[in-house]
Amino acid sequence: MIEVGPAAFMGLAAVLFTLGLYGAVARKSAVMVLMSLELMAVSVNLNVVALSRFVTPTEMTGQVFAIFTMVVSAAEIGLGLALVLAIYRQTRSIELTTMDSLKG
Amino acid sequence: MLSGYWHFLPEVLVVAAALAALFGEYLPGKDRGTAYLGAVVAALAALLVAFGGTAAPMVFGQVEPDGIARFARTGVAGLTAVWLLWVAGRGMPGERRREAVALALFAASGGMLLSMAEDLIVMYIALELSTMPAYVLMGYRRSDVPGLEGSLKYFLLSMLTSIVMLYGLSFVYGISGTTAFSGIDLSAGGILGVIAVLLVLVGLLAKMSAAPFHYWAPDAYAGGAPVAVAFVSTVPKIAGIAVMTRLFGAIAPGVPALPLVLASAAALSMVLGNLAALPQSDIRRLMAYSGVAHTGYLLMALAAGTSMGYIATVFYAVAYAVPSMAVMLVAAEEGVELSDLAGLARTRPWVAWSMLVWLLSLIGIPPLAGFFGKLYLFGAALDAAMVWLVVLGVVTSVISAGYYFRVVREMFLAEPGAGVADAADGAVVTARSRSAATALVLCAVATIAIGLAASPLLASLGVRL
Repeated sequence: MIEVGPAAFMGLAAVLFTLGLYGAVARKSAVMVLMSLELMAVSVNLNVVALSRFVTPTEMTGQVFAIFTMVVSAAEIGLGLALVLAIYRQTRSIELTTMDSLKG
Repeated sequence: MLSGYWHFLPEVLVVAAALAALFGEYLPGKDRGTAYLGAVVAALAALLVAFGGTAAPMVFGQVEPDGIARFARTGVAGLTAVWLLWVAGRGMPGERRREAVALALFAASGGMLLSMAEDLIVMYIALELSTMPAYVLMGYRRSDVPGLEGSLKYFLLSMLTSIVMLYGLSFVYGISGTTAFSGIDLSAGGILGVIAVLLVLVGLLAKMSAAPFHYWAPDAYAGGAPVAVAFVSTVPKIAGIAVMTRLFGAIAPGVPALPLVLASAAALSMVLGNLAALPQSDIRRLMAYSGVAHTGYLLMALAAGTSMGYIATVFYAVAYAVPSMAVMLVAAEEGVELSDLAGLARTRPWVAWSMLVWLLSLIGIPPLAGFFGKLYLFGAALDAAMVWLVVLGVVTSVISAGYYFRVVREMFLAEPGAGVADAADGAVVTARSRSAATALVLCAVATIAIGLAASPLLASLGVRL
């Protein structure tokens, strides 16, 4: 029987978070960026739930935290997709690289 | 336990007004009436908060309506009322306004809750509630491609930084074993505690558009309608700063490096923001960079880490937000290019003189709000022996006069231009509007009044001078 400790969960969360961060920065399609952001949000949830299990096993604080962040990130993704859709209707493109009407 | 719940009455009123605004077509006066209703309710909420007194932590210690919360909540609700009053007069460019009213009120309720959050979960929910309507306001006009692109960029960056911050918060929770600010103790975390604080800092600094995470703000603001930028760049900032004072007060004891990191971010923001604002000709960009600079001033007192520093920070957040919103509202009336303001002193003298008051306050000229705000900020930093930061703050304030006076010169010395030059972006308004004028006058009066009443206000925040 292999003992799975908090480090394993936190390691997995860190890997997911890094993958998501890479995707969010490197991807050109707005939808892929949104999916990468969702991956990061999931890694945070994993982290919180695992920490809750190992740090405060008698309380549900982390689980409650995770439920709240899930709802918020679902709402955010909905909003993000609505924005992407609105832009797609105007420009027929969701590539972030074509969005250069604003230059800093 | 239940007796203290009337402290939430202002938030309840604001949310109720927001829900009512969604059904604006059934309200008397339709859209305009909706905006008036929102303005009245928000003003009522501000008064209720201002005269409502303070309380010990309540609802299982998750919120604390103390002096800092009272000041920030009053600022959030009051500025929302002013903004709605302006919207009642001028409307949103190209679209009906009832959803904008609802969104602004939802964001205000989030900001008011955020100002008194004493728990990581409450803070996160309230932070999202105060920023999420902002994305929609920025992309409010569905046919406006630059506005939508600005909104999407703002959204993607804001969400990325939210999640980075949340990742940090998950470690803060893991190390402390609790989500309550009062129970946070990172001294046991070692390297993990440092990582957690760095992640939280990256998220919060980016949200406050502090250097080096500020680059999104000018782009996002330059795409949005000026009236949306007026709300988005000011109201959520007050609440964000208020919760930062609470959070940093909780985590500072366990992280010795925090003041140095904040001081570096402050120095970088002041220098980069003020220098980048100098060559701008778009008022939205100019105010975005000036916002970066002012975040730098705020971080200076946060870095001091004293209770006087935290109070000065919240005071200046409001003292900055009032004139900043007013300048953007004038840009929404006159046009967003600097040249659109040419000859304003001759065409609309009272607007030009009000602009002068706001710009002088932003520079920090006595006896206006900005002067006392900066005085307290610098004083708090001096008490914490950060002399170099104060010197940098004074020098960059002088530099900032350079671009603010360019606006003044344009208004008072340049010849009036074509006036209705680019009605295409919906920004140029020539018709008179009494409520919009009232909103601007209120901003000017508030800028002077906050300055004149600085010491009683500070006393209400808990300072004994």
